Amino acid sequence: MPPRNCALCANARAMLKRPKTGQQICRGCFFYVFETEVHNTITEAKLFKPGDKVAIGASGGKDSTVLAHVMKTLNERYQYGLDLFLLSIDEGITGYRDDSLETVKRNQQQYDIPLKILSYDELYGWTMDAIVSQVGKKNNCTFCGVFRRQALDRGAATLGVDHIVTGHNADDIAETVLMNIMRGDIARLGRCTLICTQGEDTIKRSKPFKYAYEKEIVMYAYFKKLDYFSTECIYSPDAYRGHARVFLKDLEAARPSAIIDIIHSGEAFEVREEVKATQKVQQTCQRCGYMSSNELCKACTLLEGLERGMANSAITDRARKKLDAEGPAPDNLRTIPFYRAPSAAGPNASIAVEAPS
Amino acid sequence: MSSCGNPAVEAEALMSRRLKFDKSRSCVKCKTNVGNIVIRHAVYCKDCFTPLQTTKFKRSLEPSINPASASTSGPRRTKLKATGNLLIGFSGGLGSTVLLDLVSRCYISSNETVENVDGNSKPRGGTKHPRNQSVWMEARACYVEMCGAFPESGMRDRTDEVRKAVERYNGFEFVSLRIEDAFDSRWWASVGGRDQIRERDLGVDLSDEELLLSSLQHSSDSSPLAALQKYLSSLPTTTATQSSLTALTRLLLLYTALATSSSHLLLGTTLTGLSIGLISGVAMGGGFVVREEAGEEWEPRISGLAGEERRIKVVRPLQDMGMKECAAWVWWNGLEVVGKENVVGVKQGIGGLTKDFIVGLERDYPSTVSTIARTCAKLAPKDAAVERCVMCERPAQRGVQDWKARISIRSFNSPESEMSIPLPPHIQSAIPPPSHPHHSSFSPSLTPLLCYGCHTTLTSRSSRGTALQSKNLSKSLTDVIAPLPVWVSSRLLDSVVNPGGEMRDDLGGDAWQSKKMDVKEMRDAVKDFLLED
Repeated sequence: MPPRNCALCANARAMLKRPKTGQQICRGCFFYVFETEVHNTITEAKLFKPGDKVAIGASGGKDSTVLAHVMKTLNERYQYGLDLFLLSIDEGITGYRDDSLETVKRNQQQYDIPLKILSYDELYGWTMDAIVSQVGKKNNCTFCGVFRRQALDRGAATLGVDHIVTGHNADDIAETVLMNIMRGDIARLGRCTLICTQGEDTIKRSKPFKYAYEKEIVMYAYFKKLDYFSTECIYSPDAYRGHARVFLKDLEAARPSAIIDIIHSGEAFEVREEVKATQKVQQTCQRCGYMSSNELCKACTLLEGLERGMANSAITDRARKKLDAEGPAPDNLRTIPFYRAPSAAGPNASIAVEAPS
Repeated sequence: MSSCGNPAVEAEALMSRRLKFDKSRSCVKCKTNVGNIVIRHAVYCKDCFTPLQTTKFKRSLEPSINPASASTSGPRRTKLKATGNLLIGFSGGLGSTVLLDLVSRCYISSNETVENVDGNSKPRGGTKHPRNQSVWMEARACYVEMCGAFPESGMRDRTDEVRKAVERYNGFEFVSLRIEDAFDSRWWASVGGRDQIRERDLGVDLSDEELLLSSLQHSSDSSPLAALQKYLSSLPTTTATQSSLTALTRLLLLYTALATSSSHLLLGTTLTGLSIGLISGVAMGGGFVVREEAGEEWEPRISGLAGEERRIKVVRPLQDMGMKECAAWVWWNGLEVVGKENVVGVKQGIGGLTKDFIVGLERDYPSTVSTIARTCAKLAPKDAAVERCVMCERPAQRGVQDWKARISIRSFNSPESEMSIPLPPHIQSAIPPPSHPHHSSFSPSLTPLLCYGCHTTLTSRSSRGTALQSKNLSKSLTDVIAPLPVWVSSRLLDSVVNPGGEMRDDLGGDAWQSKKMDVKEMRDAVKDFLLED
């Protein structure tokens, strides 16, 4: 078959078939449309204003590595006027995070962006290795997910940034829409397709790759020769999410637009007003000051369970009742440092980061 | 040591087998009989199962019959009075077999009789007692024969079998349709549409994402069956074929309900089927109409017929009964299910994949199907609908094409969007607009008249898809233009064509006009693809 010309510019030879549209296009057009679509996402949602300090949640994986590259490119091309930072969380999983943190440190040098690494051990006094040794592999994802979310906010607060951007891609969002419908999580279903979320006391958090296909992110990294670590977590993944992911991949194979179609569906509906009225009002954790739907936030509840040797107390009702029956938490219980949002910390809050050499 | 007795196996690695039922084998309702069926971990005996399912069925259906029946106070049966007749969509499958049986038991042949002194029986309380009044004056069961859609699979015509299944019940008239009726102007005229379409048939070019409209060239075989088959073979994916057949069936039933003065169209969608429909609907971009998937009120578009009294309520009264409960109902009541034939390739579409996924998930997580249905019942469209889609006649939202163009750039010169896209640095000069070899520059587009889901159905391609892309490269204009269902052609002619033959976009777009192309123009347009003799 003779070589085909690019379906977009009709000049250069087509080098790839775009997973999102099925078009055969050249490398130059691929870079350009990929970046322009991210730019369209950013400008349509009015995510940033000049002078914003923006932390890129960097894990060293493909999504965040490409995000750092694209954010740097777009910031320069379209003169967003952003101060960019890299923010990494070290969960303390031996053999999983070590290599990818090296990638983040390389990105810090390549892109000349300051880096902050915050560890679970530093913040909670527990590494994921230690948590798994107590709770086993079954529910450890609950601990990791809850702790990571808070850790990013706390890391961003110490950097004094206004905004965190994460590498969640279209596949992640479509999968979450399906998951939330299937497990009846109406509160999360209502907000999972939002490009930007912000609680009263939390830092703005956005997903510029909301419409970017995972396959295209990999393709971008490949053609740009960006190095990243593709490491699966060594602890067992969430089985239910695993089912949803396999299903989504099957849908994508049947019709590649399925991913974007699911996101469109998620954006087209909302939770009915009368249902919203029955949802819990957000409050502040009495122990650590972080946003919470109960008196204690999920991270404090999980940490208390770990500290008191009853790690499942935040997972099952039965275990929670058992913990309550043991009496109130002892005074010398290890707790998470009190959370202060950047606005509360003031504009001159200290920023302890590793500057690029 | 593990349960298998192997000391080398780590005990924690083995999952303990979960019991299929909660506490005991006794029926949770009467607490005396030994249970016969487990429904989501609860055990029921056969005696309690029947009233339980009947109650679920009535609870789903009766509030929608008339406003008085929606009231929760007092006995409901005496208040039930529909404004029109009843139409049941009967496919011969499991759900519709149970539906027909339940409707017959509860509303058609349910009147209790007492014997008088002469030995004759009459309804208890007399024929005029409100309890003995018919809820619907007439009841019909409508079957849509699908074999015409699959000429190569050898699917047999099951109309006679289905007719016999319906005739087992008294009080139902059998209405037989064929899927190709969706392209039949005589059928369209019989349900109240205008019989003016033959001369002015419109077709759409499905090989082009702009979905340009053209006049359809009549070939020697322009029967409705040929039109249906041409339409289906022009669709880009297996998913599109399946979802189009579902949409065609739905509209055939709705217009039949309209023609038979029905106020209610009942469908035998089970809880399992509803959950599959909801998830596959979301996966096909139908989030805006997720509410309509569970139940809708449809207003006909045929001019002069709109109005409160012509609205048709589409109800799925089995939406609280799972597939398993329906199977048990059929088995214990000795009903015969005509069944459906498996079509090759269905499992590769989004609908088939979703069915496999949900049915598989239900085995390990039995509450999944009811959770999906309950979650979707809590959702509403975010924005108000601006129009109704000409294809599926469901609400459509604004700005769909701009959204698509923004998140996936398909051209640096996109006519669908008002967005201007700067050229990439490696391109020096402006790119000419895409040429459409089969159309004049004035060809109108179907795109602005479609909802997101229907536009995606007609345009979204897959490497696994049908052979359209490869086949159509060498085809002439008459081959690439697919016919449109009669209600679409009618709507387009009805609302966008003025007597002078000019067409306008009634969604606020630019004026556009249609021009029939002659042979020379067509040859000029496709000359690059033609080989010398």
